Amino acid sequence: MLARALESAGIATTSISLVREHTEKVKPPRALFVPFPFGHAFGRPNAPELQHRVLRAALDLLSAPSGPVLSDFPDDAEPGDQPPAPRQASAIPAAAVASDAVTEVGEFLARHEQWQGKNGGRTAFGLSGLPASRFEEVVRFLQGFADGAAVADMSGRPAGVTLPAFIRWCADDLKTLAFEGHMAMHPEAGGDEIARWFWGTTAVGQLLRRVRDRLDASDDPAWKAAAFGVAR
Amino acid sequence: MPRLDRLPEANRKTLLTAPVQLNESAPFVPLAKPLATARVSIVTTAGLHRRGDKPFGPGEQTYRVIPVDTRDADVVQSHTSIGFDRTPLMRDLNITYPIDRLRELASRGVIGGLAPNGYSFMGALRDVAKVASETGPEVAARLRADGADVAVLTPT
Repeated sequence: MLARALESAGIATTSISLVREHTEKVKPPRALFVPFPFGHAFGRPNAPELQHRVLRAALDLLSAPSGPVLSDFPDDAEPGDQPPAPRQASAIPAAAVASDAVTEVGEFLARHEQWQGKNGGRTAFGLSGLPASRFEEVVRFLQGFADGAAVADMSGRPAGVTLPAFIRWCADDLKTLAFEGHMAMHPEAGGDEIARWFWGTTAVGQLLRRVRDRLDASDDPAWKAAAFGVAR
Repeated sequence: MPRLDRLPEANRKTLLTAPVQLNESAPFVPLAKPLATARVSIVTTAGLHRRGDKPFGPGEQTYRVIPVDTRDADVVQSHTSIGFDRTPLMRDLNITYPIDRLRELASRGVIGGLAPNGYSFMGALRDVAKVASETGPEVAARLRADGADVAVLTPT
């Protein structure tokens, strides 16, 4: 749809498609269907040769004389090598966790520094507007919220960001600290393995389940939407 | 994949029942110059933006500008739906925003160069009326002003 809007204004477009059934209906001017899971549009992370093949195949469609063009990326992505989609929290049994979430987030922060050191500073952290150094405080705030504290809010919540949206971004930043820190220690771990570790064995994972429950108990659709984004 | 026949039943149903435009034909502008002289931009629907930009809310039909000199380390994703795996993007921005690959193609002379800005929209939009009538055309005008010839559109 976006491709059609750009093309109508005179920009030649070529699109990567992850859902062939949708692309067949929408008919963007040029699209390359790739056989990869969501989150993997160009194949695999840190696989520049594969990414180049996908990109070149998409750019090659620009030489077609007319359209719409829907082409299939020829590789079936190394059969058997498809990373499974991460399981949702509700499909992962939660073990009893002895450690405290505040102590645990301190460990996450240390590992996360290693992650950034190894990756040229790259991190997906930074949606809540708060620095990583305040995340022990964030965990205490979320604990209070999950326990039903009447006035659960935190200094530093950016102006214009509602409480449920702020909680959602805090939860996302916590997941990023945890996931990236875990990947620093376990470079080969896939998304599903990391989800099982986080939701199954960490205190922060259990805390986010409780945060989800309090958000979901509200009748306010914005709170319910935030719950759906924190854990499901 | 996600070949629908390989997805869990719930995901397949969600996708097959999603409201999708049904079009009979497509607008089509032939690329007026050789690719080796064309300026290329990325337009993504992965909800990416610079750290510090206002995050996208669910369903938001606005866009963010990602200047071409933005470091990979400064790009974050506020499309954080837990319906997909976010770890590939944590590992490598190029998994959905192939900026380093385009730089390599420019240095090899395969493309003419990169346009000065990339543009980003939120993913998983159900209502796209405003993108079609307003923010999409706005980005098209900006691409033209940027001197972009080609836009590569990338999903989450």
